[in-house]
Amino acid sequence: MNETNNTSDLLVVDEIQTFIGQFHILEGVSLSVPRGSITVVLGRNGAGKTTTLKSVLGLTPPRMGKIIFDGMEIQGKRAYNIANLGIGYVPEHRAIFRSLSVLENLKLAERKKGDFHRHSEFIFDLFPDLQRLYKLPGNHLSGGQQQMLAVARALVPDNKLLLIDEPSEGLAPILIQQMMEAIRTLSETTTILLVEQNFIMASQLAERYIIIDDGKSVEAGKMSELVNDTELIHHYLGASIKTRKELEALHES
Amino acid sequence: MNPKTKKILIIVAIILVVLGVFVLLYQSAGKEAFIRTALSGLTLGSLFFLVAGGLTLIFGLMDVLNFAHGSMFMLGAYIGWQLYTNPTFIFGLLPQILAFAAGVTLTSTIKPYLIKWNLPEKWVKALPKMGYFVALVMAVLSFVGLDIMGLADTAMVAVTTTTVGNPLAEISVQEPLAQYWFRPVLMLLSGALIAFASSKPGNKTEFAPNENLFPKILVPIGLFVLAIGATLIRESAPVAILLMDGNWRFAIALLVSILFGFVFGAVVEITLIRPLYVRPTFIIILTLGLSYVIRELVQLLWDPLAYQMVRPPQFAQLGKAVNILDWLQNGKATIDIAGVTFPTYRLFVIVLGILMFIFITVLMTRTRLGMIIRAGVQDPQMVEALGINVKSVFTIVFALGVAMAALGGIGSGPFLPIQPLMGDQYQTQGLITVVIGGMGSYVGAFLGAMILGMARAFGDYFALKYSLSTAIAEASTVIIMVIVLLARPQGLFGKKE
Repeated sequence: MNETNNTSDLLVVDEIQTFIGQFHILEGVSLSVPRGSITVVLGRNGAGKTTTLKSVLGLTPPRMGKIIFDGMEIQGKRAYNIANLGIGYVPEHRAIFRSLSVLENLKLAERKKGDFHRHSEFIFDLFPDLQRLYKLPGNHLSGGQQQMLAVARALVPDNKLLLIDEPSEGLAPILIQQMMEAIRTLSETTTILLVEQNFIMASQLAERYIIIDDGKSVEAGKMSELVNDTELIHHYLGASIKTRKELEALHES
Repeated sequence: MNPKTKKILIIVAIILVVLGVFVLLYQSAGKEAFIRTALSGLTLGSLFFLVAGGLTLIFGLMDVLNFAHGSMFMLGAYIGWQLYTNPTFIFGLLPQILAFAAGVTLTSTIKPYLIKWNLPEKWVKALPKMGYFVALVMAVLSFVGLDIMGLADTAMVAVTTTTVGNPLAEISVQEPLAQYWFRPVLMLLSGALIAFASSKPGNKTEFAPNENLFPKILVPIGLFVLAIGATLIRESAPVAILLMDGNWRFAIALLVSILFGFVFGAVVEITLIRPLYVRPTFIIILTLGLSYVIRELVQLLWDPLAYQMVRPPQFAQLGKAVNILDWLQNGKATIDIAGVTFPTYRLFVIVLGILMFIFITVLMTRTRLGMIIRAGVQDPQMVEALGINVKSVFTIVFALGVAMAALGGIGSGPFLPIQPLMGDQYQTQGLITVVIGGMGSYVGAFLGAMILGMARAFGDYFALKYSLSTAIAEASTVIIMVIVLLARPQGLFGKKE
């Protein structure tokens, strides 16, 4: 992990340590996200993947370590300042605003007045469902529609980086496929840092991976190499791959 | 049954019950008494809502139950009343307050430079403490010899004199400029020192956003200019305001109270409440304590007496207006409504309550701030993650809530006796209103306030008619709360947790 000086990295996280209350959640996470790529954070449940994303955004500010986004140190800044530098966030459990309509959810994310209107065509191309539903309040949407809205909300025109937390969580297979397509389309214009439990999906989308285990980043590299390293997968991610069959299917692909 | 038809059925049932109750009341009270009592009920309900509106707005977004709300209501009444009857007090203190604010608001401009200073560790720690200490000394010095009690005291003279004779003779207690000038200057320096100390010079762990500083320096400059202006018009402005038409004076009193409430609320939120969001119980104790501090200060300045504010001329002419037009032209004290003689000022209170409800509704449903508030009620962290400064939204909402309380205070000034405890009764009613309506729901608060007001008014009426104890009217509030909470623990419009 000696890429910290590489200027082609949009985001560099260097040995951050994060506490939530008295709990030491991250005990040294380092990662780098090259521009224009999809990087996936892998790891077991409770390893600290979500906290890593939240620490980058300043929602759970790290006590130690450095975070460099687009050449600027951002650790210790307030979350809204960090977000305004051009980071979109799609939280886990699709935290859309239930009492706001679809349109209001999207408009709330505007950085400048009219952002949404300049961008609406792109968003509705990506998620045609939302156009049909845009007057409905958020709590009337199905789980898949909520997830789409959560992603769409993060698509502000000048966002350089998207932090997406478990986009496939609780979605039907057909919707997972649709979500993957959307993320792939997005990656053409934006850099993406993804947290994903679904290894199949992660391996098909991402070019690079980082494995976090017990609050520390333990492995990083190219996805194409990880897919062939059964031992590594089994050692760190055992729980997230459900059956032997899935692994074999993966090998064949 | 699907939930939508169920909901409609429930609403229809409620409307039928309410109509039924009204018909029953109408039958047993008779037309005239019914209208009179219903209007009194609306007046009371409006007063309750003037308190409850701000409470529910603040509670909805921040989970802060502001126990100083009643005191802020009272303070708004005092400030507006002061401006209305004797502006000397406000104008006498304004230059120092503005100068101090001009100093403090320098913070955001000087902070980016100060934190880059290279200072020895010792100085980094010592400088802020020294700054705060010297600032405190300067602030105290700037008030030495200033006759604040005298400024406040003239109010009492003015009250008696506005009704008979000329109040202007009594108001020139201000110091001449040659003796006075150092006070705002000291306050400006004191504020600037606080700005210096709070931006923690040399502290490298502090963060200042890399922004264009030009718009930020405009705030202290503007306040500075205002402070100079306030110093110069210190003596003439009170005279000018007292010479004004009483209705305009009252309108200005309303505006000044709103403005005062907003600024006071913002200051309280930033300095006292903001550090305590992680400890919600402390906030309750803090606001409770604050209410006592405000009350004692008011008693110190104006004695624990009750004052009657003179109604503005539009509501004060003797006689009865035949209709709204007649009242608008001649400004009578009472008006004829369907055969009932009703005080016009009470109608004004009703209108004030309704206007406030409309204002909150428009704010919440039509503006971006309202959108942020509705989103923030559910998940403030996610709002922040979208790039919105939630802390400043909290400040604005708290300030708005206090401004509403202050408006309620001055709005009811000509109608309630002005005294240090005037807000307490309405705060209790306001809290119950918020509980009945559903914590954080402004529609619920409005309906709750009206229900309580009606119950109170009709309770009083029937207690009188059948010579029962008037305690029935007072108990009605709690009885309604118990019934609502048993049937719907989350309140009328509350959301289930």
